[in-house]
Amino acid sequence: MSGITVRFGPLTAVDQVSLRFAPGQIHAVVGENGAGKSTVMNVLFGMISPDAGSIRIDGAEKRWRNPQDAIAARLGMVHQHFMLQDAMSVLENVVLCAEPTRIFGFVDFSAARRRLEEVARLYGIGVAVDRKVADLSVSERQIVEILKVLYRDAEMLILDEPTAVLTPQETENLFKILRNFRESGKSIALITHKLDEVVAIADWVSVMRGGKLVRSCAMAETGKDEIARGIIGGDLPAPLTRGGQAVGATVLKVENLSARGNGRMAGPVSFEVKRGEIVGIAGISGNGQSQIIEALVGLRKPVAGKVSLLGHDVTHADVAGRREAGLSYIPADRQTVGLALDARVYENAVIGREGTSAFSKGPLLDRPAMVGFARQLIERFTIKVAGPAARCSSMSGGNKQKLVVGRELARETPLIIAENPTWGVDIGAIDFIHRELIRMRDLGHAILLVSTELDEILALSDRILVLYEGHIAGEFAAAEADRLTIGALMTSERAA
Amino acid sequence: MRQIGPWLAVFAWIFGILLALMLIANADFGEAVTGFFNGAFGGRNLAYLFTTLGRATMIVGMALSVMISFRAGLFNIGGEGQLVAGGIVAALVGVYLPGPGWLVLLAGIGAGMMAGALWGLLAGMMYAYVGVPLLIGSLLLNYPARYIASYLVGHPFRDVASGLPQTFQVANEAWIPLFSGTRLDMGILAIIVVAILAIVYSNMTIGGYRARMNGLAPNFARASGLPVTALTLRTLMLSGAIAGLVGALAVYGVHHRFTDGMLVQPLYAWTGIIAVLMVGMVPWAVPLSGLFFAAVQTGAAGMERSADVPKEIALIMQAVIILFVAGRVAGANLADDRESGNGT
Repeated sequence: MSGITVRFGPLTAVDQVSLRFAPGQIHAVVGENGAGKSTVMNVLFGMISPDAGSIRIDGAEKRWRNPQDAIAARLGMVHQHFMLQDAMSVLENVVLCAEPTRIFGFVDFSAARRRLEEVARLYGIGVAVDRKVADLSVSERQIVEILKVLYRDAEMLILDEPTAVLTPQETENLFKILRNFRESGKSIALITHKLDEVVAIADWVSVMRGGKLVRSCAMAETGKDEIARGIIGGDLPAPLTRGGQAVGATVLKVENLSARGNGRMAGPVSFEVKRGEIVGIAGISGNGQSQIIEALVGLRKPVAGKVSLLGHDVTHADVAGRREAGLSYIPADRQTVGLALDARVYENAVIGREGTSAFSKGPLLDRPAMVGFARQLIERFTIKVAGPAARCSSMSGGNKQKLVVGRELARETPLIIAENPTWGVDIGAIDFIHRELIRMRDLGHAILLVSTELDEILALSDRILVLYEGHIAGEFAAAEADRLTIGALMTSERAA
Repeated sequence: MRQIGPWLAVFAWIFGILLALMLIANADFGEAVTGFFNGAFGGRNLAYLFTTLGRATMIVGMALSVMISFRAGLFNIGGEGQLVAGGIVAALVGVYLPGPGWLVLLAGIGAGMMAGALWGLLAGMMYAYVGVPLLIGSLLLNYPARYIASYLVGHPFRDVASGLPQTFQVANEAWIPLFSGTRLDMGILAIIVVAILAIVYSNMTIGGYRARMNGLAPNFARASGLPVTALTLRTLMLSGAIAGLVGALAVYGVHHRFTDGMLVQPLYAWTGIIAVLMVGMVPWAVPLSGLFFAAVQTGAAGMERSADVPKEIALIMQAVIILFVAGRVAGANLADDRESGNGT
């Protein structure tokens, strides 16, 4: 790719970027969210036409009208947000739009199955082709996405933030597969902001900042710190510090809570969160986190057990009742749960509080007050957006998440439930969100942090609970928490 | 709507296809066009304009009813059932309630709105408490409403002497008055008021805001503690009440009785749905869209009368106009969405 430029209106998202991807090489493209790395990859994959620049494959200039052209040229992309049909089986998802057909258009599933199993064996991927996608864990879904690409004979694989939702073990597994691709001479583009991963797997690294290519060199010629400085364009944020502090009264008390959802049972679990502490729940995704959180927030009726907030039994209260009683919730999914993307920033900023006197007069909305409040959030949480009236869909992932976090923290409730609060956001936003959570803890709020990122749990929590198959497999104070022990508990209860 | 070019292309297409159709029908083009505009907006003493406005009253009313639901993410396509429920109840009140005319009128309109609201609520309760998808529940409820009304006017409440399946006439004193010198009744004023209220509700009130958030992102609305179930039921009642009002206006303003099929055959409810979808559910544009559909329908009828275009050809022309204009408007809406959805 050379001289690629993409403009969205007055904004130049990508400015004269040239990249080379060689066979048998893993090329990491790193940068903050909004640095333009996803946009460049979308150009490469034919989803956006560049305003300038050209794409060459093996010396021949290519012009994509759409992703189908790119796929035909043996490119494949695994998106950050998976594009799978939940109700269909793995096999059906993989062959979708590339079905081997017999006469009269009947799909030849047995041929498809043979081919898929062959592909999976070739790259050492274990997969149950007949399971429904809805029943798969996040990491298994990602494997399905990769299989989709391989099934189409891709020579070049583009992965957008592939490890954002994976545990350390799952990430290692993915990397093993990627190394197999490298061995077989395929070219891999890896978009990420996790520097450890870049160091672990990349052969070549390109750093983008503000739409420009800052650096592109062999991994051997650079180091982690240098890349990080390139990404941020300055010095690294100081490491997080957490002062010791005495915890106060119990805010959230959970007794023998069990909940059922997505065909799985979670619990019974019992735990407490007190004023001035961050309790972290570690675990691989799909081990009952969502069921328990939904039962705590009021989105799901528990099967049994009791939830008390500040001494009041809220087991049977609805979402509004619990939020009223003193709970805020930062959901993992900002795209559909945390925000209404097609609505404006100020409309998202006041949700749940639109009926209070601060934002309404009688039955009418007080729009200036809503806009004013949104403006405050934008300033205080340094959210990059055109203005309070911009649509949320126009913001980058990190800024969307800052808006969600800002809205929930601004409610200043005694209890804050944060579910993967930094999923898929850039270094700057992660640091900012972590600091805000610690600040709230220092102010005496109780915080329940549920995260599949073990590093996040270890960095923030005063106490750590490990969730495995819906049960609490272990509990640690921050001081005695050990990465390996927790990692073992996350994968098998017997290790305890 | 900013670019003129695509619109010129749309009109050129419409013009071309209509011309071809006229050649087939062997009709005079100039006469047909005059007939169309005369049929929609002209006539002696502007009689046809008032016909258009009368039809627009029905279509815009149904469009507003649908808009309220659709914006809240509730695909209520049971407008027809709610309309019929409102019409039949209003008619029965009008025929059998004794009392001064104005009281009968008000009671009839109130009862019609109530009936429509309950019919909407029924679909809502099936959806919220039993889990029947709204699209299916609301659609299927159209049929019982229709057939119950058919039965009522066919048997127990039939004006047998009239020879048709219909009720007796509502007493003269309870009719909605006409604008003097026209055949247009003042029911249109009620719809204008409803339109203003609906636009205010959608854009400026807490309820409208909540409904829209639920429409844009239902999981978001739920997780943020919005009263989603109550919102669903209330919204469907509101939609039903507007549809019921339209039914009552048809009874008291136009037909002065309930005749079997009078609210179903003109496809008011379905035209209303198309009118809303065409303008992407933007509240202020909905009344204009409804007016457009009414004008095309009466205009086509005018063309048929004056240019000797066969009725079927006139209907095809009507469909062509709607297809192209709706396609262009909806296309422009989609393009807008895509633009503002860029740059994630």
